[in-house]
Amino acid sequence: MLLATYDLWAFVSDNREELLDGVLNTLKVSGFAIVGAFFIGAVLGAARAHRIPVVSQLTAVYVEVIRNTPILVQIFMIFYALPQFGIVFDQFTVAWLSVMIWGGAFNSENFRAGFQAVSYRYREAGYALGFSPLSTFLNVTLPIGGRIALPSSINTYISVLKNTSLMYVIGYAELTTTSLNISNLTLQTTESLTVLAAVYLVLVWTLSALIRLLESRLALPETR
Amino acid sequence: MPDWVEPVVRYILEDGLPGTLRVSAIAVAGSALIGIVFGTLMTIRFLPLQALIRFYIEVFRGLPILVTVFIVYFGLPSAAPRLEFGPLTAASIALVLWGSAQVAEATRGAVQSIPREQHEAASALGFGWVGRHGFVVMPQALRRLLPPFVSLLVNIVQNSTLAQVIGGLEILEAGERQNERLTAVPPIGLGEIHAFEIFAGVAVLFFLISFPLTRLAAYLERRLV
Repeated sequence: MLLATYDLWAFVSDNREELLDGVLNTLKVSGFAIVGAFFIGAVLGAARAHRIPVVSQLTAVYVEVIRNTPILVQIFMIFYALPQFGIVFDQFTVAWLSVMIWGGAFNSENFRAGFQAVSYRYREAGYALGFSPLSTFLNVTLPIGGRIALPSSINTYISVLKNTSLMYVIGYAELTTTSLNISNLTLQTTESLTVLAAVYLVLVWTLSALIRLLESRLALPETR
Repeated sequence: MPDWVEPVVRYILEDGLPGTLRVSAIAVAGSALIGIVFGTLMTIRFLPLQALIRFYIEVFRGLPILVTVFIVYFGLPSAAPRLEFGPLTAASIALVLWGSAQVAEATRGAVQSIPREQHEAASALGFGWVGRHGFVVMPQALRRLLPPFVSLLVNIVQNSTLAQVIGGLEILEAGERQNERLTAVPPIGLGEIHAFEIFAGVAVLFFLISFPLTRLAAYLERRLV
C-alpha cells in the first residue's frame, strides 16, 4: 500500500515549472482585467457622475445586471452561451474578459462615488480659468475624485484577482486549475491545496499592504 | 412556447432552487452566529484572542471562496477521512467560513462604533460584561449591522453557485444538466443547443432574488445610518 506522506518541499520542487506558469497566468489575466476595469470604471463612472444622457442610464443597467447575477453565471454566458451565436472566444480571452466586465461594473460605482464627492466649486474654478469641460475633468475631477475612489477601487482589483480562480470552470490553466490538475495526477491533494492557498494569501495580503502604503502616499492632504 | 422549455424550467425550480436556498440558509445562519460571536470577542482587549480571530478573518477573506470550497471538499477528507461532505454541505461550510469572517469584521466595527459612554452607563447600572453587551451594546450594534448583513445575504446567494463547480445540485448546476441533456443526440436529448436561453434564464432568476435585496440594503443604509 502506498502511504501518502505530507512533503510540501518535494511537491513544490517537483512541480515548480507548472506552478510558476499558473501563477504567471493568474497575474496576466488579473493584470489585463484590472487595466480594463480601470478604464471602464473611469469612463462610465464619469458618465454617471455627470449624468450624461443615455450613457448614464445604460451604465446603471450594466451595473445592476452585473451586481445582481453571480459571476459564475456570467462566465457561463460568455463561454457556453455566446458560441450559440457564433461568437467563440478562447479560454484566455474569456478569462480576462469576464473578470474585466465584472470589475468594470463595480469600479464604475467606485468612480461615480469618487467623482461625485468632488466639490462643484473645484469644477467651477476650472471653467473660470478657461478649461474646457473635458480638460476640467482630466485636470480637476479625475485626479481628486480618483484619489477618493482609490481604496474602494483597489478592493475591487483584489476581488478581480480572487475571481480569476473561477477560470477553473473553463479549464484555463491559471493557478487554481494548475494546482487541481497536479493534485489529480499526483494525488498529493493536501500539498497542492496548501500551495494554492498560500500563494493566493501572499498575493492578496501583499496587495492589501500596498493599498495602505498607496493610500497614505496618495491621500488628499486634508485627510492625511 | 417550445416543448423543451417546460421540463427545463420545472427541473431548475423544483430541483435546483431548493439546493440554492438550502446552501444560502445554512450559510447565512452560520455566518451570522459565528461572525457575531467572533466580532464581539475581538473587542475584548486580550491580544492572543484578538490575533487568533484576526488571522481567521484575514485568511478566509483573503482566499478566493472557490479555493475554500476545494479545501473543504477535497482537502479535509484527504487529511481526515471522517470529514467527507457532500457537495452542497461542503459549499455551505466554505460559505460559512467566508461569511463569518465578513460578519466578524463588520461586528467589530459596529460594536466599537458604540460610544464609550454607553458602556460606562451600563456598568454604572451594575451590568456585567455579558449584560452590558447583551442588553445595551449589541441591540444598538445590530441595527448598524443590518445593511451590511443584507448585502452579505445577496453575496451568499450568488456565491452558492460555487457548489456547481463540485457538482452540487443548485440552480446553475440544474441549468447546466438540462443544457447537456438537450445537447445530447435524439434518444436522450434533442441535439439542439439552448445554452443561451437556459443560462439567461438562470441569470434572470438570480436577478429576481438579488435585486430586491440590494434595493433593501440601500434603503436600510439610508434609513439607519
